[in-house]
Amino acid sequence: MFRDLSRLAAALAAVALVTSAYVGWLNVTNATMVALSFLLIVLVVATTSRLWIAVVTSVTAMLSFNFFFLPPVGTFTIADPQNWVALFAFLAVSLVASNLSSVARARTDEALGRRDEMASLFDLSRDVLLVTDSREAITLLARFIYRRFGLDYVAICLPKQGDWDVFESGPLALALDRSQLSLDADHRSIVVANQRVQLVPLRLGKKPVGLLAAAGREIEAGTLDALGGIAAIAIERAQFLEERETAEVARRSEALKSALLASLGHDLRTPLTAIRVAASNLQASWLSDDDRREQSQLVLAEVERLTRLFQNILEMARIDAGGISMESRWVDPSEIIEAARDQVEQALRQHTVEVQVDDSRLVHLDPRLTAAALAHLLENAAQYAPARSVITVAAVVSANDLEISVRDRGAGVAEADLPHLFERFYRGGEAKRRASGTGMGLSIARGLLAVEQGRVWGENCPGGGARFTIRIPVKTTAVASSESIA
Amino acid sequence: VTRPARILLVDDDVPIQRALAPLLRSRGYEVEVAGTGGDALKAFAAHPPDLIVLDLGLPDLEGTEVCRRIRADSNLPIVILTARGAEQDKVAALDLGADDYVTKPFGPEELLARIRVALRRVFSDDAAEVGRVRLGDLTIDYDRRRAVRGEEDIRLTPKEFELLALLARNADRVLTHRTILKAIWGPNAVDQPEHLWVLISQLRKKIELDPSEPRYLLSEPWVGYRFTTEPGRGE
Repeated sequence: MFRDLSRLAAALAAVALVTSAYVGWLNVTNATMVALSFLLIVLVVATTSRLWIAVVTSVTAMLSFNFFFLPPVGTFTIADPQNWVALFAFLAVSLVASNLSSVARARTDEALGRRDEMASLFDLSRDVLLVTDSREAITLLARFIYRRFGLDYVAICLPKQGDWDVFESGPLALALDRSQLSLDADHRSIVVANQRVQLVPLRLGKKPVGLLAAAGREIEAGTLDALGGIAAIAIERAQFLEERETAEVARRSEALKSALLASLGHDLRTPLTAIRVAASNLQASWLSDDDRREQSQLVLAEVERLTRLFQNILEMARIDAGGISMESRWVDPSEIIEAARDQVEQALRQHTVEVQVDDSRLVHLDPRLTAAALAHLLENAAQYAPARSVITVAAVVSANDLEISVRDRGAGVAEADLPHLFERFYRGGEAKRRASGTGMGLSIARGLLAVEQGRVWGENCPGGGARFTIRIPVKTTAVASSESIA
Repeated sequence: VTRPARILLVDDDVPIQRALAPLLRSRGYEVEVAGTGGDALKAFAAHPPDLIVLDLGLPDLEGTEVCRRIRADSNLPIVILTARGAEQDKVAALDLGADDYVTKPFGPEELLARIRVALRRVFSDDAAEVGRVRLGDLTIDYDRRRAVRGEEDIRLTPKEFELLALLARNADRVLTHRTILKAIWGPNAVDQPEHLWVLISQLRKKIELDPSEPRYLLSEPWVGYRFTTEPGRGE
């Protein structure tokens, strides 16, 4: 508005300037010349400002023309009838010119607006194509529309078994009356909380798949249609992505199941066979005492192996079901290492375990989960490092986390296996050569640590052997006193 | 047999080795143990055993590959151990010339029986198909190309007799569908098991007292057939 007023002031000033220059200084009295000069001003005003400014300028110029230049000068009366004609011709020409130029301006503005909307539509379609997460896609779509088109409220409404799923975005909170939504109607508007809401059907071909509701700025019908088209495609794409994801999840869970079965097939039957044969050997009369001891040890060891296998399966099922909770308390890292060693004592029998804990700080975490995860790493190291080699367990406490690493002196991990180590049932090239190992341990360790927001990774050491490291974000104490942990 | 039979036990699982080796030794066999396919082939080349017990799930070589390489050199009996549910591996190994299989988890008697049968084949391989052979209460009369049960003659068509003779020659061993089809109808028939189903059911009608519950001609589901000389062993 201020801009319009200043334009008007400038226009009137121009008229006044020309008038005073002609009257007071140049002594121009030729009516034709004055009229042309005023007409020029009016045209300039009309091309740069609104119509009403041009009209006010025209009328002012006409009055000024009449008062100062048409005889009798100094009055609004006109003596010569010819001058009446001149005066009205001037007014008519200036008004028509104003009108024409303002129409041209409006066209230009409209074209620019269209171009902006086209650009917004284009940007929107690009946004839509970049969305990959199907679940978030439709909410994102609503947000994109509200941002790209500067609206106050955007909702995408999808019919769902008699009701509507509404995905909203924008600063305005409106409660859409769902009974007013319908797939049958064409463009229309409803009023919600004194806001006019434009409703556009979203169509794929002819088939309506939902509604787009928009409030705030008025959007032109053609643009709305285009917007609806893009939104419909985006929705279809999102639904397609979701279906594909569901299929992928189903396929993966199938693959997992058959991997589990294959793994169980081998890992259960082999110890069962050994137990069955050894147990019947124990019944036989031909056994020496040494043989008998060996066979019964064999049975116990195989039972242990089966027990561990069942524990793994159960742990895995609990991780999958999200059934693991965290109970943190203050604990000494060396306690965790001790507990982990105890759990896999059998597996570690043939190895020397070296423990390095140079810190007396306590850490606040779930010792049970951490020890269980560490036990899997220890078991893994024992499986892949040669008997009688050294396994080094080191704990490092820093300000915000606890790192425990397990380093073995085995052959290390093949480069190709490194990215897959923690995948369930993945058994690397080397692992396949071992009878023991189920391909579950490392994936369980990762699952347990995830509950504590911890991480685990494996790498090869420069000096040979593999190192697996656990890192858990924890609170730590300075050298603990009994009060601080009470 | 004057000396004890030597068995090469090939399995990568140490507990299995430690349970099976004493068992086999207790039955008078000499036992050598190998943990990988490579070791098995080496042991086989260095000192050929009388029989190989071979686990199919070996770390280095596929068990079927070991089977194939041994068969290329020797006709010695091979008994397969398999923990896999997949019948394909079993059948592949049998088609490659393995004599029999035991599926884990198995009991000691099951394995010992298979070993006994497989060893017996070695000593009966060269037996000429003449005269009469008694299998349980069934007698096969090669000269007259028919079977006799008790006093009763059983008339057999030439194909039926061929099948019976083939199975009897391999008594107590499993024969895969493929092996039987190839032996009786030739290599082009191996993918037409329906021939075999028909012939088996005809033969069962003639030699079995109750063809719906065969005592001699047993099916090994998805693998093949076994002619058992110990009817009613309850397989």
